[in-house]
Amino acid sequence: MSEIDLDELIENLLQCRRCGICRNAVFEDRGFDGVCPVWRNSSGFETSFMRGRIQVALALLDGTLEKTPENAEALFTCTLCGNCTEICAAEFDPTECLEKVRAVLSDIPNDVRDTIAEKIMQYDNPYEENNQIKRDWVKEVGFEVPSTGDLLYYTGCTAGIRLPNIAKSTAKILKAAGIDFAVLAEEPCCGSVMLRTGRVEDAKKNAEKLAEVIKNSGAKKILVTCAGCLKTLRLDFPKLGIELPEILHVTELLQEIIKENKLEVTSLEKGARVTYHDPCHLSRTAGVYESPREVLKAIPGVDLVEMETTRETAMCCGAGGGLRSYDAELSKKMAADRVKSAIDIDAEIIATACPFCENNLIAGAALIDSSIRIVDVVDLLAERLK
Amino acid sequence: MNEKIIKKFEEIVGVEFVSTRADVLLTYSQTASLAVEPVIPAAVVRPANTLEVSQILKLANQYKIPVTPRSGGSSLQGEAIPKPGGLVVDLLRLGGIKLYENLRSVTVGAGVTYGELDKFLKKHDLFLPVYPESALVCTVAGNIAVNGAGPGSSLFGCIGEMVLGLEVVLPDGSIIQTGSEANPNAPGPFIRYAFGPDITGLFIGSLGSFGIITKASMKTFKRMKFFDYNMYGFDTAAQAEQFLVEVKQNDINSLFASLYSGEVLDLFMDMLSEELGFPSFEYSNRTVSMTIGRVREDMMKSDAKLACEICEKLGGKVLGVSEMPQQEWEGRFWNFVRASYAHGWHWKILYHHQTPTNSHKSVDIIMEVMDKYRFLGHTAGFHSGHSSMNLYPHLYFDPQDKEEEKKVVEAHKEIAKKLFRSGAVPFKLAEFWKDAIEDMDGYMAFLRFLKNSIDPNNIMNLGVLGGI
Repeated sequence: MSEIDLDELIENLLQCRRCGICRNAVFEDRGFDGVCPVWRNSSGFETSFMRGRIQVALALLDGTLEKTPENAEALFTCTLCGNCTEICAAEFDPTECLEKVRAVLSDIPNDVRDTIAEKIMQYDNPYEENNQIKRDWVKEVGFEVPSTGDLLYYTGCTAGIRLPNIAKSTAKILKAAGIDFAVLAEEPCCGSVMLRTGRVEDAKKNAEKLAEVIKNSGAKKILVTCAGCLKTLRLDFPKLGIELPEILHVTELLQEIIKENKLEVTSLEKGARVTYHDPCHLSRTAGVYESPREVLKAIPGVDLVEMETTRETAMCCGAGGGLRSYDAELSKKMAADRVKSAIDIDAEIIATACPFCENNLIAGAALIDSSIRIVDVVDLLAERLK
Repeated sequence: MNEKIIKKFEEIVGVEFVSTRADVLLTYSQTASLAVEPVIPAAVVRPANTLEVSQILKLANQYKIPVTPRSGGSSLQGEAIPKPGGLVVDLLRLGGIKLYENLRSVTVGAGVTYGELDKFLKKHDLFLPVYPESALVCTVAGNIAVNGAGPGSSLFGCIGEMVLGLEVVLPDGSIIQTGSEANPNAPGPFIRYAFGPDITGLFIGSLGSFGIITKASMKTFKRMKFFDYNMYGFDTAAQAEQFLVEVKQNDINSLFASLYSGEVLDLFMDMLSEELGFPSFEYSNRTVSMTIGRVREDMMKSDAKLACEICEKLGGKVLGVSEMPQQEWEGRFWNFVRASYAHGWHWKILYHHQTPTNSHKSVDIIMEVMDKYRFLGHTAGFHSGHSSMNLYPHLYFDPQDKEEEKKVVEAHKEIAKKLFRSGAVPFKLAEFWKDAIEDMDGYMAFLRFLKNSIDPNNIMNLGVLGGI
């Protein structure tokens, strides 16, 4: 991240006139049915949505509020989903400001933030796993995957370690479409969570390491399946002064592949009402709304239905911004709330396009004993390949 | 507030919904009111229902704890700033909407916002036709407590005119119901003036000084489908003001009629014309932007024709520009908020009512004081009922310039005094009016008497209602 200008940051924070629209605006013309999922799913004090977070940030910055972990909690109980930015009537980006505040106030102790960063620095992933297992899924795809090549599939920590099906499905689809790809021999983390939680210097070091590995792979294009990786590589790395080849989310590539009729897709055995959950970093942040929907519509038997909030105003699943680690209970409650939105429209399947969202939505469904199927778009497509 | 009392509040609402944390209290020390000193309360509670509100007030009354009711936190004139050592009662958990379709009414909990209610009513082809400019965030009950107005008020008046009855928790914790619903056998809210004097009215515009509104029963109307949007230009303020008078005298259904001076339109056009798709046009010294609304097309057309005739008879020019009034009405949830925050300034506001033919006095006073203190700002107004204009000067300041902020506060006091002398009346009897009001000793004494009778321990939002 380029140096943060504190004066400019404060000036931006003071653009907030405390109107409070970022809390629970129901604005039918623009599709808002509430704004802040944290406010909805917590005890709902002012500190639980952006208006209060900004007041806390200003008070911590000017010393009105003592810099303690408890006083800084409001800075971290936010997924940075960006729904408040989407509705804010003032001339600033509250989400971006909050991320910067986290960086500026990184001297305030925060064990969770520091532990994740240390794990990434030590293990190259936040899950404390031997990083080599991130490529284990390759052994199961049934064909050789090189570690260098023009198209690099950057698997990401969650798909690589926790939800390898996404990686295997991606490989299966690419193979079926006749597209060669490579997967790094050992893949460092993209460092998204370090950037979101304010460990910018560590994130920069990590980014330099990753950039070097990617450079050595000879990649001309990078494919990701994780919305967090997409935001980080496509949008944050340039701000850190790091240039990478073109970054594509898998659904963007798939939309093209489908248009070119490169895949033969069979119908679902039984038709299903499928709803799509927009991952915040893919949708609001990167502006990718249609590609995943187009992929779903290409599967015969999919009846694509939309939840009450969708696209630009979609409620967050609760996983991002470091919240899943900072307050897992709150994060899962938010996911359960999102699952309820799908249940409300009688959806049988929630498809999404981010392993982090999938992981949390599964936890949310478990919280409310829902048996709704939660799946990545690529899994659903891969299942129907001839 | 000691731990024993906090514990009791926790027993009422649950531990999760009481906070004494420094960060939380800080965020309740202020609202959307700018250039108002924040005050840190001792605790915040978030009750879930009327019974809990009642228990909270009983306890607060017992221990003489100052109470500040709060819902959207969007009020602009210091109505919900706590007291040192006081308790903030956050009412947003009091939800619930109940429609009485045949009674043409709806009852909402104190936490229901206009946006939420409008979405609900739209499904039934109904609306509550008064929309405060903060409608996305402010609650109906909170807006009743300040007797708010906005788009729709030109025809239907301030929100108080829409109230059929209220459920209120009094400072001693007792719960009363006003209007027809006071009769437990009534099928719902259908008339406000039911059991003697207008007790409902006591709480409208009371700024939370007499109790906490926990439910509000409101009139609903069939959603209008036919609109005429037009602008009317006049060379003089007198012509424009007379136009507004005659619109009313001829029963033209003006849903929203705003009056702008040329320099204010300059400012708005500079800020937002591109974003909102306004064409550039020749506006006049005074311009009226008006939406006529009707449920039947023939009536709308007849009203629109008559409005043009009145304009021309008075020497005005029908501008034939529809975009601005259309955006004012159709974009009523958004465009006023956007206009307030599109520029970088903070501002202090001074809502008041004038008669239409006195509107120019407000404009002159505000411009004169802004010139004297040398800061920027603007003022415009809209028809707010039977024969009133709501004017809303914005006095701009830089939030990082404390001297400028102080100057704005001084100028604000001066404007209030001059406005009162010009015949204006408060939109909300906010605290700052106490120094502006003169020769109303009898009225203010009666108000104090009421306050002392209803709230002898002076716990409810002390000092806010005209300083009482």
